[in-house]
Order: sequence, then C-alpha cells, then structure tokens
Amino acid sequence: MKKLEPGMAYDTNKLNKIFAFLSVLFLMITVWVFLDDYIRPWKAVQLEAMQIKKQKLQAKLEEAEKEINKDKLESLKKKMAEAEKVVAERRKEIRKVEKEQTVVQKKLKAETILNGTLNSQVAAYTFKYEQAQLKNKSNKAVIFAKLKENKKLFAESKDRMKEYQFQKKALFKKKEKLQKEVLSIEREIKSMTTTRDLIAKAVEKTKMGPIFALRNSPLIDYLDPTLKIEQIVLDNITDDRYFQHVPRVDRCITCHTFIDQPGYEDQPNPHKTHPNLDLMVGKDSPHPMKSTGCTTCHGGEGHRVNDFTSVAHWPQNEEQKKEWIEKYDWHEPHRIPSPMLKVSQTEASCVKCHQGVEFIPGATVLNEGRRNIEKYGCYGCHKIEGWEHKRMPGPSLQKIASKIDKEFFKNWVWDPKSFNPHAMMPRFFGQSNNSQPKHMVKNVAEVNAMAEFIWDKSKAYKPFMKYTGGDVERGKELTAQVGCMGCHGVQGMEEISDKIGAYAGPYLYGTGSKVDPDWLVSWLKKPDHYQEDTIMPSFRLTDREVNDIAAYLMTLRNKKFEGYRFEEMDKEARDSILMGYLSAFDTEEGARAKLAKMSDRERTLELGYRSVGKYGCYSCHNIDGFEGRAPIGPELTHEGSKPLTQFGFGLQKQVEHTRDGWIKAHLLDPRRWDIGIDKPFKDLTRMPNFYLTEREAETMTVAIIGQVNEKIPLKGVKRLNANEKIVEDGMKVVNKFNCIGCHQIDGYRGDILAKYEDDLNEGPPRLNGEGHRVQLDWFHYFLDNVYPIRPWLKVRMPSYNLTDKERNTIVTMFQYKAEQKALVDRSKVVDWQPGEKEAAWKLWEEMACASCHTAGFNNDDPSAPNLYFARRRLRPSWIKKWLYDPQAILPGTLMPNFWVDGESTSPDILGGDPERQIDALTKLMYDFGTEKLPTKNTNYWSKQ
Amino acid sequence: MRELINWIADPIRSFPIVCVLFYLMMKYYRVVGSKKFLYVALAVIIPTAVWFAADPNFFTILILPDNIPIIILLVLVGYLTWFSLHKAAINDERIEQGLGPVEGTPENREKVWCWPNLVYTELFAIIAATSFLIVWAILFKAPLEEPANPTWAPNPAKAPWYFLGLQEMLVYFDPWMAGVVLPGVVVVGLIAIPYIDTNPKGNGYYTIAERPVAQWGFQFGWLVLWIYLIIVGTFLRGPNWTFYGPFEYWDYHKVVAEYNVNLSEFMWIKWLNTAMPENMFVREILGILLSLAYMIVLPPLTAATKYGKMMIEKVGQMRYYIFVVLLLLMMSLPIKMVLRWLFSLKYIVALPELELNL
Repeated sequence: MKKLEPGMAYDTNKLNKIFAFLSVLFLMITVWVFLDDYIRPWKAVQLEAMQIKKQKLQAKLEEAEKEINKDKLESLKKKMAEAEKVVAERRKEIRKVEKEQTVVQKKLKAETILNGTLNSQVAAYTFKYEQAQLKNKSNKAVIFAKLKENKKLFAESKDRMKEYQFQKKALFKKKEKLQKEVLSIEREIKSMTTTRDLIAKAVEKTKMGPIFALRNSPLIDYLDPTLKIEQIVLDNITDDRYFQHVPRVDRCITCHTFIDQPGYEDQPNPHKTHPNLDLMVGKDSPHPMKSTGCTTCHGGEGHRVNDFTSVAHWPQNEEQKKEWIEKYDWHEPHRIPSPMLKVSQTEASCVKCHQGVEFIPGATVLNEGRRNIEKYGCYGCHKIEGWEHKRMPGPSLQKIASKIDKEFFKNWVWDPKSFNPHAMMPRFFGQSNNSQPKHMVKNVAEVNAMAEFIWDKSKAYKPFMKYTGGDVERGKELTAQVGCMGCHGVQGMEEISDKIGAYAGPYLYGTGSKVDPDWLVSWLKKPDHYQEDTIMPSFRLTDREVNDIAAYLMTLRNKKFEGYRFEEMDKEARDSILMGYLSAFDTEEGARAKLAKMSDRERTLELGYRSVGKYGCYSCHNIDGFEGRAPIGPELTHEGSKPLTQFGFGLQKQVEHTRDGWIKAHLLDPRRWDIGIDKPFKDLTRMPNFYLTEREAETMTVAIIGQVNEKIPLKGVKRLNANEKIVEDGMKVVNKFNCIGCHQIDGYRGDILAKYEDDLNEGPPRLNGEGHRVQLDWFHYFLDNVYPIRPWLKVRMPSYNLTDKERNTIVTMFQYKAEQKALVDRSKVVDWQPGEKEAAWKLWEEMACASCHTAGFNNDDPSAPNLYFARRRLRPSWIKKWLYDPQAILPGTLMPNFWVDGESTSPDILGGDPERQIDALTKLMYDFGTEKLPTKNTNYWSKQ
Repeated sequence: MRELINWIADPIRSFPIVCVLFYLMMKYYRVVGSKKFLYVALAVIIPTAVWFAADPNFFTILILPDNIPIIILLVLVGYLTWFSLHKAAINDERIEQGLGPVEGTPENREKVWCWPNLVYTELFAIIAATSFLIVWAILFKAPLEEPANPTWAPNPAKAPWYFLGLQEMLVYFDPWMAGVVLPGVVVVGLIAIPYIDTNPKGNGYYTIAERPVAQWGFQFGWLVLWIYLIIVGTFLRGPNWTFYGPFEYWDYHKVVAEYNVNLSEFMWIKWLNTAMPENMFVREILGILLSLAYMIVLPPLTAATKYGKMMIEKVGQMRYYIFVVLLLLMMSLPIKMVLRWLFSLKYIVALPELELNL
C-alpha cells in the first residue's frame, strides 16, 4: 500500500480519476435524458407520413405536368420573345410614364399625410367646439372659426387626393397599354401552369432541408416545429375527471395523419384515410373531426401519445393481437376502465349521442343488434332506458286455458324449440346447470305447478265462431297473399319466410298441434276479441277465407311433440321447494307448520305462483297477480360501463376476459358460469337460453356495450328538434304495430317486400314522402276505415285496433317527416282559366288515363286507383310532382311518365307547356272528385 | 414447495417465524455477523430470490414500478443490518478482551482534511445519486394512473411504499389508532430517543453488548414492526387487502373466512352467558380495565423488578417511565396481532359511540 500524505484519507489522484469517471458518466446520462425526451415514437410516424405525402404529391405533380400542353407552351414562349421585342421598342415611352408615376406617387403620399393630419384636427376641434357649446364658453366663436377653417382645408386636400388618384390610375393604364402584348401572353401561360405551380410549392414544403432540421432540432424545437403533437380539443364533449368536466382532447391525429384527407385509402395504418369519410370525420360529414373527435366513438385514451399501447388500442382478434405484439410490443393496457372498442364494435358508441330513436341510419351492426334485442325481448326482463315504450315481448296468458291445453303448455315451457324450431321463447330447463336428475325432478314440479297456477288464474273465454272446414290449398294461398307474412314466418313456406325474417308475430309452426280450430277462426276473424291489447290486426277476412286459412294452419302439425307426455309432479319435490320459500323468513319448524296447513291444491298453486315469480314469466307475459312487479333481470342501461371485475367469469377460462367477451358468452350460453360451481337449487343462474347464433350474439353485444354511463354534454349529443321528436314518437307507434313489416317508410325496412322482389308494385305500397302524398284528415280516417285503393293488390292493409291518439301520432309523424304540416284547403284548388277545363279533358283522353283508372269511366277492370277519391286523399302539390315524374317518387311504378324531360306527349294542348298541362289535370281530378269518404257500403270501383 | 411457502407466508405464521429469526439473530449476532455467515447466506438467498422471481405471479408484483424502491430497500436493509452486526461483533469481542472498539484505535483516531476527503467524496455521492435517479426515471416510467375516480377506487388501494407498514396496522386497529395515535407516538418516540437514551456507550462505534435494551428494542421495532410489515403490505396483500401468498395469482374474487368478535362480546355472551349491558362503559368494563392496567399498572410493576430498578438507577424515574410507556405502546401492535390471530379478537375496547376502539 502506497503511503498517503499526512491529513489525507485517500489518494488525490485516485479521487480525481473517480471524479473524471463520474463526470463523463453524468454527461452521458444528460445526453441520454435529452435523447429520451426527443425521440418519440410518433415522430417516426410523422416522418413516414411526410414521405408518403411527398410521394403522393410527386405523382400528382407529374400528372399535372402531363396535363400541360407542351407544344402550346412552347409556341407561347416564342410569341413572348417576339412581344418582348415589340415592347422593348417602346422603352422610352415606358420610362417616361414610369417617371411620371414616381412623381404622382410622391404627391399622393404627401397629400395622404396632410389629409390625415387635417382629419384628426377636424375631429379634435369638433369635440372642443361641442364642449364649448355645452358649457357655453366664451371662446366658442374662436374655436368654431378654427373648425370651419380646418374643415375647408380638409375638403380641399381630399379633392387634391382624388385628383392624384385619377392620375395614378391613368398612368397605370397607359403603361399597361404600352406593354399589352407581353402581359396577355404572360396571363395565358400562367393559367396553364397554375395547378402545377401550386403542387410544386406543396412538394417544396415536404422537403427535409436545413430549415426543417433546424426547426425540429432538440432544444429549439419548442419554437416552431413541423413535427409536433397534433390535437383536437372538443368543447362540446367532455371527459369526466370526477370533480370536474374538462374538454376532451384527442391527439390521435398525431399518428393517424391523413385520417380526414381523401386519397390515402391505399396506405397502411396509421396513415390510412378513414374508411367512411362521408359519415365520419370528413369535413362535410355529419360528424366532422373538429367537433366529434376520435375517442368519442372509438373509446380509448385519446390524450396519450406515449406509445401504441398507452392509448389503449384493442385488437379485433387473436390474429391482430399477435401482429400487434410483434409490431408494437402491445400488451393489455393497465388500469384503463374502458379501453378502445374493437373496430367491429365501434358502432356501440352511437347510442351515447343518439338517444330516443328507433333506428340510427348508417349504424348497420348496431341496428341489427337492437333489432335482435327487440326480437328476443331482452327489454322485457332487463330494464334499458329508452326502451320503456316497447310492448310486452310475449302474448298475454290471461285467457290461455281456452287457447291451448295444459299438456301442450308444459311441454312447450319445458322446451319451446322442440315444438317450434323458430320459437323466440327461450329455454329455461335442461340446461348445463340444471340437468342433473335431482334438479330435473324439481324443475318438473315447478313446470307442473306453474301450469296449474296459470290455469287457475286464466279467465274463461269462448270462441265466437265455429270452424266449418275449408280449402287447404286456398288457405295456403291466402296466407301467403293477404300479408300474414309481414309479421309471421309460416311453416310450408320456409324459403320466403327466411327471406322476410319477420318476428313481430310467432313463426306459425305446428299450429294444428297447438290450438283449437274454433279458437283459431275466431282469432283470425277478430283478434281483439280474445286479447284486447293485441297488435294482431284484422284483415277483414270473410268467413270463408277465415275457414280456409284455418284449414291450412290446422294441417301444420308437430306429431312428435304431440306424442310427448309431461311427467307428473313429484309431490315431495314440490314440498321441498316450497319449504325453501317458506323458510326464507321463518324457521324450519315454522315453515313446516305453514306447509302443513296448506291443502294439496294450495301447495301446488303456491309453488306455481312462486315459480312464475322466480323465472320471471310475468316480465314477458301478462299474468294476473303480477301487475306492477319489477322485471326480473338486472338493468342494462349502463352495462357497458360496469367494471370488468364485477363480471363473474366463473371457471370459464376460455372466455375472453373483456366486457364484450363476457356478454357474448353469456348470450350464447347464460348458464355456463355455474359450471363447476356449487350452488343450491334456488340460486342457480336463471337467465334462459335463447339459442342465439354467433352473429345475433355479436350484434346484441355491440348494442349492449354501447349502454354506457358516460355523460355527453347537451351541446355534444344529437338533440332531436321539435320535428324530429314528433317523427320519432310516430316511429315508435309504427314499430309497435310493425307497419314496417309491410310498408317501407322512406327506405326503412318493409320486410315483406323481399317476397315481391320481382315486382315491387305487387307488394304493400312503399311510403316515400307519404306525408306529402295524402291529406291528414283522410289519413286519420283511413287508418280506422281501411278501404282498397290499389285494385291490383292481393296483399291487404289490415284494420288495426288503434286508439285515436295512436292514429294521430302516426298521421302527424308522416306529415312532419315530409315537412307538410298543414291541411290543404280543397275548395281553393279548382279555379278554371278560360278553356282550361276543356283542355284538361282533352289531355285526359289523349293520355288515356281512363284505360287504367277505369273506375267510374268505363266498365273495364280497374288497374289503378279510383280517381274519384283522389280529391279527399291526395294533395295537389303531390299530384303535380307525381305526374311530372312518377319514377322519382316510386321507382318501378307502372304509372307512365307523360312529360319525359319536360317534353309533353301532347304538344298542341295548352301550348305543350308541361306545367300548365299538369296544373289542368290536377284541377280536373279535384273537379270531378268527390268530397265523400268511402264507407263499408261504398262500391269502391264506381263513379262517386 | 410453492404451496408451502404460500402457506408459511401468511402473517399468522410468518410473524412468529420472523420474531424467532429476530431473536436468533440478536442472540447469536456474533455468528450472524461473521463473513462466513454472509457468504453462506448469499449462497442461499441469491438462488432463492431467482427462484422466487421465476414465478410469473410473484414476478408481476415484483416489477410493478411502485415496488422497485422496496426491492432496493430490502437489499440495503439486509446488507446494512448484517454490516452493523458484523462491526458490533468485532467490537464486542475486542471490548471483552479489553482492547476497546476498532474505531477507537489510534490509527482510526487520526484526523484528516475536510477538503478533499469529505467534500470531494460528497460531491461524488451527489453525482452518483443524481445519475442513478435519472437512469431510474428514464427506464421506469412514473406509475401514474387515471385521474382519481371516487366511485371506482383502485383495488388494492395501496399507500406509498414507505407507509405500507402503517396500512398493514389498519388490519388490526381502528383507523384512529393505526392512522393517528400510533404513527404520532412513533414520531414522538423517535424524537425522544436522544433524551431517553443517555447511555454514552456506543458513540462512534458499533456495539450490542454495551447497549442491549436500545439495540433489541429499536431493532425489533424497525425490522419486525416496520420493515416486515412493509414487505407484507407490498408482496402479500392483494385486492381487497386480502392475504395472497407470494406465488398466488391476485384473483379479485378471492374470499377468506374472517369473523371478528369484540372482547366485550366474549365476556358477556360467551363466558358469562348473559345479554350485553345497556350502558356502554359497563359493557366494555373488562377491556377498559385491561387497557388501563396495561398502560398504568404495568409500568410501576416493572419498575419494581430487578431490571426496572437497575434501569431507574441508570436513567432516572422520568426517563424510565416514558421509555416503558413507549415500549408498551409499541408492543401493543404485536399483542393485538397475536390476539387477532388466536381469538379473532376485534377490539379490546369497542366504543363506536365515542369513535373509540382499541
């Protein structure tokens, strides 16, 4: 060991070396800090974007270059040279003019200064004078004189200025005239090359020269960088920071550079253009980027730009997950309550802002999901805000005893699909969690008891009609024709039923094994005789028609199901379940005493009552004794915001550990969570199995995860205006009665039209701008007094049991939808000009209107509506629009167009002017039309 | 093996084990403080630590950014504890031989210049520490979370790492005690140490033999009641503050059976087999008496013992009683813990009416 100096514990050299080492280390770390701060993933993305932009622009530039006519440019340039020579000869004159210009310029400038000074003087003296006047000062006369003087000087100066300006203009013109040859060619060249020059300028901007490097170099890149975090600040949409709502900030466009710019569709992400620019993000779309942002729909942490994972991107599937892990080192984001939605589920977010509507245009998946929710009646058991107006999903059971027999009921409840493979009623029994014999015995007891209870409650009903037999073939034809299939699928016509996909009514399968023929004919004849609040309408069928249809439906049998005999109730099982109920708030002994007091029948009925409550039958079916009970399922209004830790995944390891994963798995097999878990009989999961398809479950999942509790401020959501509100109220009624099962309303639904693909005219009329077509008083009358309008139609408009309020709601809905809110005064339409009426009749003849609209004009079979009724029904402005171009309103209609491209087919009547001709015909229809509205006894196809 | 460790790690078992280990360490500190022991210990600890870290569940907890300081702390505390034992062992042996501590030898008493010996090396320490902190900050991002949501607290909601011992105390005490009284006493007690401990021995050198009470008392409070509880709070407490073994997956739905009973309920319902009295003070009489006895009767009683007399002679009455009260307060934690584990005892005195629970 080296000897140290006195007073020293360490060797100074050694200390210095350590210091040097530490200093270098520290310097390196400092550099590292700056680099770490400077190098951000998004900068690389933006550089990449610049390259892409450059390439695109270069391509454009080349194209623009090609556009330019080279020969012409060359010749222009030659001409230019000549012109320059010509102008050069006038050099002297031009010089002279230029000199004069400088002189005038100088004078003008001097005068402007003087004028400005005088102007301020005038203003100041004006104020002084007014003050002097106000205070009646002695020197006001002096001030006034000065004011006058200044005003005069100002006026003179102004005058001189005008003079100089004239001179300036004249000189400019003079010079231009001297150079005119050059200037005109210059202009021509410029007009040819503007586009190219503009693009060239843009290309220049994408170059990464020294200025670019300087602007983006570390330490000074805060001044004016070109690579920077881009953001959208949304004032109308806020983030809930729990103690405060703050405007949402989306920085997604930092990497998704071209999301709002068309032309980058071919690029890979993140440089790709948004795939639906017309609806989303685009400047002119209803959801422009600046006011909608990105995370409003997609979810995720839009304000973060640290890296790919931190913004909570979420892969669509396993494949993408693998790709992302490889490419971006993706992992599940930590502690993010709601990560980004999978791309296929983005539509879920529509619901956040579009509430209180039946249908969201453009949201295909979401609408499908909501349609499935409606189809299977999820809202019956689970409250969902905004769905309260929907009808009970299942039929009333208040008179069920007279409709079907108990045996059928029990077998049906046990397994609905065994009777009808299309049944929408779900299955509660024989599921993975209750198939053990010990559970089956109890389930059988419950079903038996429920049947007894419901039969006990069932009110007496006697069909008012007797089935007298009918023609099966004719019945089948009628079923297909009159319009049953707008709401029902029908066995024996599966192909077309599948095409239509109707679900408002049950799929008519095995009907003959289910109901009594007398009940069936009564029901078909007058549905509300059996159930007052049914939405099933009457088709005004004759007794013969009713019998024919019944005859066909009675041939639909499910022989196998008929053979089923439901097991008898095991009384011990019944008592043991009952004991469970009775001892809930009582001791074993107390419960036993209570049970002992009950008779055999009472016990069965009590269990029936309890079981109906347990399985929530009353949530979908009207059953006496359950009025006002809350629905059985948990509310789904905010299901999409429920913390993931509150979803019980049980032992289902294969289920994706996400909200949507759980919901989809739950929809496909609700009982799976009980597998491998020890639960007492009464606590087994009760959500029944709907046997949904993958697709159905997927779309419903989208609709459910959209139910979030995120509060979007009023100014951010789509608020229905007064008009839209009325339309939506109407659509609710229209949906309830399934009008859209048959009628397509302005392009929406019209399910049954699938049956009439070959000729849409054979199907129920499409209601395009219906509110404009018909008068509102007529419409209100018609809904309660349906009469045939189109003689060729086999499908019938049924008679609904609508309340007056419902009728009014529907009528107003159509009026507001077409923005035709007022009634047209019919008495004011007809005011004939001289000779107009004769001309109108002449047109009528020439256009042979009566060859189709025969009713009342000849004895041929009519093939178009009776125009005598047009006066009450149609609005004059609609008639005109219709006559002018029927195809524009109803594409494919057979009504001919007599004024193709404004050319009348009768050029010699009324000067061949289409407007006057159409006017005359409209008046004519109003002239001969009747004021009477048809009644039951009217002959619809005669003169009125 | 993992199952066994999970089972052992439960505070019910690991706390006594740690106490025994502490006892052994202090008792045989000359063995523990030997270099040989250090090498053997390292040879055991390093593979064990690697094996622990190889478990995915433990590794997940280990690499949480919040937990990195605790890992550093474990290494430092482990080493420094051994170092002090090592030095104390050498010194104590020398003192026994009448040589005096190493620090007291003439060559170690020689004086050196402040500059550069002290100031320069301090500068090194500053630079090195700054560098270390910067590198740490770059490599491990700050564990920031979403803005606090009062309706959705993170689970588990954990205090900063240095307070996890206090949070662990909340399991056994009323928040008033664990959150206010005891931490207050800890701070006051630490401040009071120089005024209570007037023993001049051990100034400037390590020794255990010359100041056994201070060493045993302080080391117990520090290693067992503070460090050990931080370890428990960090590695063994998961969602819902439920106990999870080091190799156990933090399942949010884990349920443990726990039903705690107050001392008063033990007394009236179980032992006396009668209804609880209406008057709350009568109801809690046993707990109140026991607590008073613990805090008021126990100190004079200890003073009468041989050790008590000896200490009073050395430090005087006042210092002695303050010391004993502080010691009793400190010991109330392990006592309460043991009572909880053995008897599921909730509170000794339960006066929720006065928000006073002990």
